[in-house]
Amino acid sequence: MADKQNTVIDVNDLCKTYFMPGGMSQSVLKNVSFKVNHGEFVAIMGHSGSGKSTLMNILGCLDRPTSGLYKLAGQAISDKTDSELAHVRGQKIGFVFQNFNLLMKRTIADNVSLPLIYQGVSEKERRKRALQMLERVQLMGYEDRLPTQISGGMQQRVAIARALINNPEIIFADEPTGNLDSKTSDEIMSLFTDLNKQGITIVLVTHEDDVADYAKRMIKIDDGRKVYDGLRADYGKDKK
Amino acid sequence: MIGQILREAWISMTAYKMRTFLTMLGIMIGVAAVVLMVAAGQTVQNEITKTFDSMGTNLIIIGPGETVSGGVRGGRGRPSVSFDDVNSLKSLKDVENTSYIVNAAVQAVYGSNNYGVSVAGTTPDYLDIGNWEIEDGAMFTEHDLKTGKPYIVIGQTVVNELFGMQDPVGKVLRLKGHPFTVIGTLKEKGDGLMGNDQDNIILTPATTLRQRLRGSYRPNYSDTAFVKVTSEDKMEAVANRIEYQLRARHRLKEGVANDFTVRLMTDMVDKVRSIGMILSILLASIASISLIVGSIGIMNMMLVSVTERTREIGTRKALGAPNKWIMFQFLTESVMISFMGSFIGMILGVALSQIAGAVLDKAVPISIWSVIISVSVAVVVGVVSGLMPAIKAMKLDPIDALRYQ
Repeated sequence: MADKQNTVIDVNDLCKTYFMPGGMSQSVLKNVSFKVNHGEFVAIMGHSGSGKSTLMNILGCLDRPTSGLYKLAGQAISDKTDSELAHVRGQKIGFVFQNFNLLMKRTIADNVSLPLIYQGVSEKERRKRALQMLERVQLMGYEDRLPTQISGGMQQRVAIARALINNPEIIFADEPTGNLDSKTSDEIMSLFTDLNKQGITIVLVTHEDDVADYAKRMIKIDDGRKVYDGLRADYGKDKK
Repeated sequence: MIGQILREAWISMTAYKMRTFLTMLGIMIGVAAVVLMVAAGQTVQNEITKTFDSMGTNLIIIGPGETVSGGVRGGRGRPSVSFDDVNSLKSLKDVENTSYIVNAAVQAVYGSNNYGVSVAGTTPDYLDIGNWEIEDGAMFTEHDLKTGKPYIVIGQTVVNELFGMQDPVGKVLRLKGHPFTVIGTLKEKGDGLMGNDQDNIILTPATTLRQRLRGSYRPNYSDTAFVKVTSEDKMEAVANRIEYQLRARHRLKEGVANDFTVRLMTDMVDKVRSIGMILSILLASIASISLIVGSIGIMNMMLVSVTERTREIGTRKALGAPNKWIMFQFLTESVMISFMGSFIGMILGVALSQIAGAVLDKAVPISIWSVIISVSVAVVVGVVSGLMPAIKAMKLDPIDALRYQ
């Protein structure tokens, strides 16, 4: 029982195959299995084309596996409908994207509270919670500015605040520092580390080693297969 | 949820003010044109009704028979309805009054002024038949008719052209060299249906006209006879009685065609009204083309908007927006644009039609129907032109949408 509650992600024998017109098919994920427990900070690594993005999309409930089981916080995801998946995304998942994906015509506060709209939270309550989240990412006083008026690093912090607002089970960060310079990258990664220390489960997708270094655990995907799963610090020791 | 969708749509609309305004302009012009054209059509119809009311609608008009030669119908035949024929109709059931006219077009001369005028030789009852009223002086009497007195009653155009500021009653003017005494003037009636000046008229006893202004051919026959019926629903019955009576008086055998024609004013009114109706529909149809163009503008703008905001749609979906929410958001935007556009267009149309009415000195009605129709059309237009883009937005795959550059 305790174990079940503690497991946020449970992936078992996950496969994803794309079928192309003309009978061709391409296997992108091959029999991937792993678990992520509550409070972990995991980096999923791999070259481009390795299948890590596909894995991320399935984990983020944006896509469904061709076969295999995926349980998020104890809930089986594989056979849910589109609207059920949307509900799961809104309730249990926080997303941080490489290019921030903020709505440029909306204020920072509106952006942060956007996920709450789809849960029917009142405008007043949304604003209140947006301000709390902005405080958590040290952006107090910026709530009524537009995203175009702040720096890239700040924009990503807004996106992190947005990911936090629905108290998600897990945060998925897809190359969160890909569009940032190294100094700002460090700031963002430190913020993730802090959030992880506060007990938030984080799954990070990256191909940069120094970004992955912030994570404790690392899963490496190559050609659709899991080729490493262990402590980040231990990776490569056996090779050397 | 509805409140939040409305708010989201409103923010998106106001984010691109110029584009939203230009799109709205298309619908605005379309609706304004429809409202304006419907108002124009209705004004024409009202004018038609007004003109007919000034003539009286429960009239039966009897004219000469049509000439038929070799099976080809020609124009008006020789006058065939005599004064006595007309007088005999007065005793028919449901007939309120009768009158007849003989026409002459002459130059009227008074002092150094002269003016071309149409003279109607008629009976005192013509006032009642033609809905004329005496402005000043008096109408000639039955006695004047019998004795062929050279008395005339003149319309306002004749008064203005010949007498100017003078009081015409009692003055003598000349028609074809013969002196006629003005004994009265007629109240102004305005333009007739064909734009003819109904006030350019002189009334005189029919006998006088026959003696002095026209040749001696068939002296006791009318050009046109009028029968006023007590009520409109009895028109057909009275027309049949008239036909029977005149055929008997003219001793026409069975199988011989009428040597006169009987026309119902109500039929003519219906015909002209239906022309006015067709005109209204035509004008409105032409105007609605611009409404269609306007709605294509909305669809175009919404399609561009969906493409432009692909990443936004992907983000919203990733953050938990259900597909329906996305669809309604875009649908609401297009309905709001078309609704606001049509509302402004409607006000614009009503305002412009009233200004045009004021300039042209015509009473232009504000039709509640054109308002209801244009607003409901706008909502339909908004839904129809917003549906395709909204479905496109709904169907976007969040993964592709997030990657879209």
